[in-house]
Amino acid sequence: MDMHSLTEVIYGTALSSAIRDNSWVVPLVQSIHIVAIAVVLSCALVTELRIAGVVAPDESMEVVAQRYLPWMWRALAVLLATGLVMIIGEPERTLGNAIFWIKMALVSAGVLASLGLRRPLLRPASSPGKSPAKVLAWALLALWVAVIFCGRWIAYSN
Amino acid sequence: MNVDSALEFLAGTPFAKAISQGAMAFPMLECVHVVAIAAVVGTIAIVDLRLLGYRSHRRGVRQLVRDLLPYTWASFAIALLAGSLLFLSNAPKYAHNTQFQLKMLLILAAAVNMAVFHLTVYRRIQEWDERSPAPVAARLAGATSLGLWLAVVFLGRWVGFTL
Repeated sequence: MDMHSLTEVIYGTALSSAIRDNSWVVPLVQSIHIVAIAVVLSCALVTELRIAGVVAPDESMEVVAQRYLPWMWRALAVLLATGLVMIIGEPERTLGNAIFWIKMALVSAGVLASLGLRRPLLRPASSPGKSPAKVLAWALLALWVAVIFCGRWIAYSN
Repeated sequence: MNVDSALEFLAGTPFAKAISQGAMAFPMLECVHVVAIAAVVGTIAIVDLRLLGYRSHRRGVRQLVRDLLPYTWASFAIALLAGSLLFLSNAPKYAHNTQFQLKMLLILAAAVNMAVFHLTVYRRIQEWDERSPAPVAARLAGATSLGLWLAVVFLGRWVGFTL
């Protein structure tokens, strides 16, 4: 089954038309989506700027990461759930959109980098001064901003 | 010259038309606006939640506010600038939009709430800096701020559906 027939199947479901027929659903879900974006971006802001040595350099990286990482994962779950509602409501606008897939690729890269690459860098043994952790911190911050840009552009591309 | 004709004039300037009619300007300004708002609301929420008893990366509220406030203000300035340019592109319509008016009112209320907090209970910060949750007055300010900013985000998104 190709992407276009998949979007048509989703579009034909009762859930999909229910999302479209109630005019308050999409604005409400998008608003929740933006609030969750605020949580992810700000958690990333504090965590990455700490790793970059800009914010709270006298506070340990582990403490900062441990405070904000759980909030990030919770907010990402909310983003996934609200994003799914938007996809079901308007499948062609999302799944049939190149920007949407670029956004998903960037999100996956961000999550994988946060999970895999950063954890070893957080060990007290690693030298925080000139380590690749700083570069990665700035890159991750830029990546989340790029994700937000892609998200808004989904509405305009096609 | 009344307000409405002033707004019409603003929206008719070549600069405003470049924003409303260009293919890139409006969406790009929206992107900047969303990133800036996310940083404003998120950094404020970290402080609000600390007042309500959720731990942040700092023990003390004063140090937390010192860490985050510069980012909140810088982001707010960017959000305001991008928002003003979006407003300019269709000034009369935004000005008459109920959701937009309510959003502006709630931002004003959030500013008043913050001013009251800083001029009252925050003056005695050394007495409760490391206490969590913070005193009732500070908790009240935190909850009010959180509620107002969430409402601002909701209203902001709603403007896009009602304009």
